Amino acid sequence: MTRRAWVRLDNASNIFLAARTDADPKVFRISAEVDHVIDPQLLQEALDATYDRYRLYHAVLRSGVFWYYLQESDLRPLVTAEELHTCAPIYQADRRRLLFRVMHHRQRIILELFHALSDGTGALWFIADMVTAYIRLRHAGQNPPFPDIGEAIDPEADRGRVDAGTLPDDDAALPAHGLIADSFTHYFRRRRRHLRSVSESAFSRAAAPVLTGDDDVRSSPSRPWEIGWMRRRSSKKVYRVRGTRTPDNRTRAVELTMPVKEVLALARAEGVGLTIYLTALFFESIRTSSGDLGKHRSLAASVPVNLRQFFPSTSPRNFFATIRVEHRYGEGADDLGSVCRQLDSQFRPKATPEALERKLRKFIRFERMPVLRIVPRPLKDVILKLVNWSSNRGLSIAVSNLGRVSLPEPADSHVGRMLFHVSAARPQLCAISHAGLLTISFTSPFIETGHIKEFARLLTASGIEVTVAAARVTEAELAEGKR
Amino acid sequence: MRRCTECAVDIEGSWTQCPLCTAPVAGEAIASPLPDVPLEFSRRRVLRVLFLTSIAVILASYVAQLLFSRGLAGIGVLRSVWLGVITMWLVVVMAVRKRRNVAKGTVYLVVLVGLVCVYWDYLTGWRAWSLTYAVPIVCACSVIALLITVRVMRIEVGEHIIYSGLTLLLGLAPIGFLAFGWVTNPLPSSICGALGCTLVLMRLARGPDLRHELAKRLHL
Repeated sequence: MTRRAWVRLDNASNIFLAARTDADPKVFRISAEVDHVIDPQLLQEALDATYDRYRLYHAVLRSGVFWYYLQESDLRPLVTAEELHTCAPIYQADRRRLLFRVMHHRQRIILELFHALSDGTGALWFIADMVTAYIRLRHAGQNPPFPDIGEAIDPEADRGRVDAGTLPDDDAALPAHGLIADSFTHYFRRRRRHLRSVSESAFSRAAAPVLTGDDDVRSSPSRPWEIGWMRRRSSKKVYRVRGTRTPDNRTRAVELTMPVKEVLALARAEGVGLTIYLTALFFESIRTSSGDLGKHRSLAASVPVNLRQFFPSTSPRNFFATIRVEHRYGEGADDLGSVCRQLDSQFRPKATPEALERKLRKFIRFERMPVLRIVPRPLKDVILKLVNWSSNRGLSIAVSNLGRVSLPEPADSHVGRMLFHVSAARPQLCAISHAGLLTISFTSPFIETGHIKEFARLLTASGIEVTVAAARVTEAELAEGKR
Repeated sequence: MRRCTECAVDIEGSWTQCPLCTAPVAGEAIASPLPDVPLEFSRRRVLRVLFLTSIAVILASYVAQLLFSRGLAGIGVLRSVWLGVITMWLVVVMAVRKRRNVAKGTVYLVVLVGLVCVYWDYLTGWRAWSLTYAVPIVCACSVIALLITVRVMRIEVGEHIIYSGLTLLLGLAPIGFLAFGWVTNPLPSSICGALGCTLVLMRLARGPDLRHELAKRLHL
């Protein structure tokens, strides 16, 4: 019998299974726009070559009694034309299907993933390698042969990649199930040998905090001042955006493209990073578009942080934590600069390796509690659904920034803007930059675009050239497109 | 590229109104980087509603039988047909739902058909025909059918081993019927039990595979 390699899905990824709904299937998309119309044949060849090197992507998701698990499969991915709306559902229970798809439309190469498989950075490695392979195939003969593909690197992951190259026992670090080349496991375990729970999957410990939000901080005795803050917080409700759902539950996506330099200059002028600047701008547009909020005057955002920048890793599996920042309007200064600085002062202390590690440790202890481990999977799903529901109640928006991407040559000079969409349960902003172009994609389960209008107008008022691309989602919009 | 003067933004695609503020836009249209995808309505919700109503009707029908008198005389043609139709409906619903995994579907089939037969037997005044004939025959047939199916469909061992194992265990149940003297004719149960035992012994040769599969499913 062919014994297929398998690996347990950690709790952090389980939340994506528990929390997926018709409107938010927990799928995200990264696309790259090249300088010519895509050749599907070449893209298929590039995909095949890349797919062979990413064993994680061979996985199908199956359910056991206590856990979901990823199991290796013989399936091969097929490149298709883009015939589905953005972030269409990928995983369906009981169907053995790959957890990603590759599509093309005009000049775009599109990769969509089920979030339980990987996170933005992991997916970025895959698409970067695939695009590089594609460009090399396309320009074969014009360029000298390259020794190996797979050098495509996300700047934030630089250190991780370098480490993977220098670890002498990289192969030995493969987990027993052999499904995932998780050299990170090795690294992290060594780093934290003093911890009690070093026995099994360091990955699951590492990837865990995606679930937590701030729960662990609440019980952290080392930061008593935060306990008080959390209690106060729980008593006041945050503003939550409401709207009309799209007719077939598809994600409303609007892409804004602009020169990255000018936006960075605006952020620097406020003395904060791009992510925080965009968050503050998003808060301001939500406030304006909602007619000054109303009863609940707090806005809260969840901002995922790539943990690989603090704990170098080459694992393509989920490895991020989310940090929650909020601002209460009507108490003190509410201008953009003040909001920026206030958010920054919340964000910075939480985005340090120490704070994140504390978070990881707490969460891992929770995940590895024997009582929780023997809870059957359907019940775990219900528990996670409740956890997700309660943490959703404390959030107005989400902001996800993948940062600046650089691809190896010759791909870099042939790829223009890149784009990042995430299926959304609430209005969400996803940013990524390449070739000097920052693309900010707004996704939302609602058809309303008021907050995007305000956001774009805030930018254009600062003298930034903004280009808008939107997918049609309502019947009227689609009818107009046919005319 | 088209331009919305209200928002001061350029717009890709052939929008006649600004997608942000719905103000009319001016300029040459360029191709949109995002395709227009027609609306689609998933059948999932319809199927879910159909499934739940079916289950409700089926359950209600079975429970309603208890309101009538028990025994062969009381059941009559009409109720027999009613039970038959409902049972057929149950089997179809189950088969459709589990169509993606034949082995799993077989386990469900054996359990459901077995239970329905026992209940039907009870409704007709308990003559033990279900345990004597129906259940052993269903078990034995399903074991053989599964053996053939996994060969013909070339289903991977890892995919079906748990469920074919369960079917086998169910095939051993008639031995219990014999032991407790619940049957009026020992032949069907004996044949089914013997078949089950032989196959279980053969299956034990596959022990490591089974253990691997169980370790995966029951991983803590």
